[in-house]
Amino acid sequence: MSIMTATDIVAARPGPRSWLKLTAAELKMVVRDTSGLIVPIALPVLILVMSASTASQQVVANGRTALDVFVLPLVTAIILSTICIINMPSFLAYYRHAGILRRLAVTPASPAMVLVAHTVVSLVQALVGMCVALALAVLAFDANAPVHLWAAIGIFALSLVAFYGIGMVVASVAPSPNSAVAIGLALFFAIGALGGMFGGTGNLPEALETVGEWLPFGATVQALGAAWAGAAIDSVHVISLAVSAVVGIAVAAVAFRWD
Amino acid sequence: MAAIVAEDLRKTYKGRAVVDGINLTVYAGEVLGVLGVNGAGKTTTVEMIAGLRRPTSGRVTVLGLDPLLDRARVRQVLGVQLQESYLHGALTVTELVDVYRSFYPDPVPTAELIGRVGLQEQAGTRFEKLSGGQRQRVSIALALAGKPRAVILDELTTGLDPRARRKLWALVEAMRDDGVTVVLVSHAMDEVEHLCDRVAILDEGRIVALDKPRNITTDTDTQNLEAAFLALTGRELDEEQPLEEYA
Repeated sequence: MSIMTATDIVAARPGPRSWLKLTAAELKMVVRDTSGLIVPIALPVLILVMSASTASQQVVANGRTALDVFVLPLVTAIILSTICIINMPSFLAYYRHAGILRRLAVTPASPAMVLVAHTVVSLVQALVGMCVALALAVLAFDANAPVHLWAAIGIFALSLVAFYGIGMVVASVAPSPNSAVAIGLALFFAIGALGGMFGGTGNLPEALETVGEWLPFGATVQALGAAWAGAAIDSVHVISLAVSAVVGIAVAAVAFRWD
Repeated sequence: MAAIVAEDLRKTYKGRAVVDGINLTVYAGEVLGVLGVNGAGKTTTVEMIAGLRRPTSGRVTVLGLDPLLDRARVRQVLGVQLQESYLHGALTVTELVDVYRSFYPDPVPTAELIGRVGLQEQAGTRFEKLSGGQRQRVSIALALAGKPRAVILDELTTGLDPRARRKLWALVEAMRDDGVTVVLVSHAMDEVEHLCDRVAILDEGRIVALDKPRNITTDTDTQNLEAAFLALTGRELDEEQPLEEYA
């Protein structure tokens, strides 16, 4: 065999087929780890079922009920936050801890491939979770579509990126899978509590209520609620989601480690 | 022709030298063994060659390329089997091989790779269900997926039964016959004596001998490599370097 020299070696980057293969592999990992799907799908459904029958009777505005304006935005925020802040970082932290990221680091695969694969998988999980919740809400409790449908879709997409940004920060800084779960859960409950997960935020001290609305969970609930009711979306909520997305991804880009 | 060159390579952690001025040339098509007790600096050295660790000082080239600066090109030609690395546990052997070979422009076909490491019967088995030896073989298959011109095998057969070891030895011999340069990090004297053209013996981050196994035994006036190792380092190969010598 002829001897290869440096000039013979071409830096061929993995192509689209490789990105698809890796993404499909990550999807299989999530699907085969069925316990990881319970929280993002079963928990929101449980909350929906517990609140929907009463909420679906209370009309709030434009023919939209409390189920549409309050419960479904809350369920959406829970689905996105559990997937992006708890599930995704624990997967990546486990990959790092077990040496899977290190193993990939000695191949032509780049960190971006792993991150993009997990983004896609998170999106698929979020869409599945939303489809399950919305199908149940519509079929069993006569839920209505948002008055401003496209605005709701836009907020959903922005929220997904914002939560993902936070999740990537968790994945970057967590030294172990257990700590990733612990940090993710602490963040989830903290921003959830301030964002109305355990009841209306009106009972919180004013300063906490304001902070809660700036954080991604509260901003998602408020902005989606407005889109569902046909009200104007407060720009503060959109800006807070955009800032979370940009800051989270920028921090993760700098801090993400293979080992 | 040199395939891998390390020049005055050093790595320090908190002021302690784990690798302390290593100069090493691995020639194209050669199988070079790297011997040393735990903590001697073997894995740190090969991880710097693989571009996984940045040297504190010194320089490494792989086929004339810097593993850190020319990362994308080095990854095309260097296959690496890491010590104790896990893979996606829920994926089958075939799925894993498919994913890893997709990273390369002209990979070895999946069935051929699986056949080379003798895992045809386990092709549909999830990685998490495989034995230690079978996992090791998957790891080697992945290192070979891109038709590498140089391969690093770190603790190739540690923990494997004699039959599994022999199978992997045959695989290394096939690589050598194919002109692939192999750096074999090992604890096993018989493995190194059997497979390696030359051996580098590391102690406290330094190379204390680098030659053909026979020459090392002759130079140390010993009967075999194990005795030569003891004469050169004052340690048995299965002992660990004292904790205070670790970084």
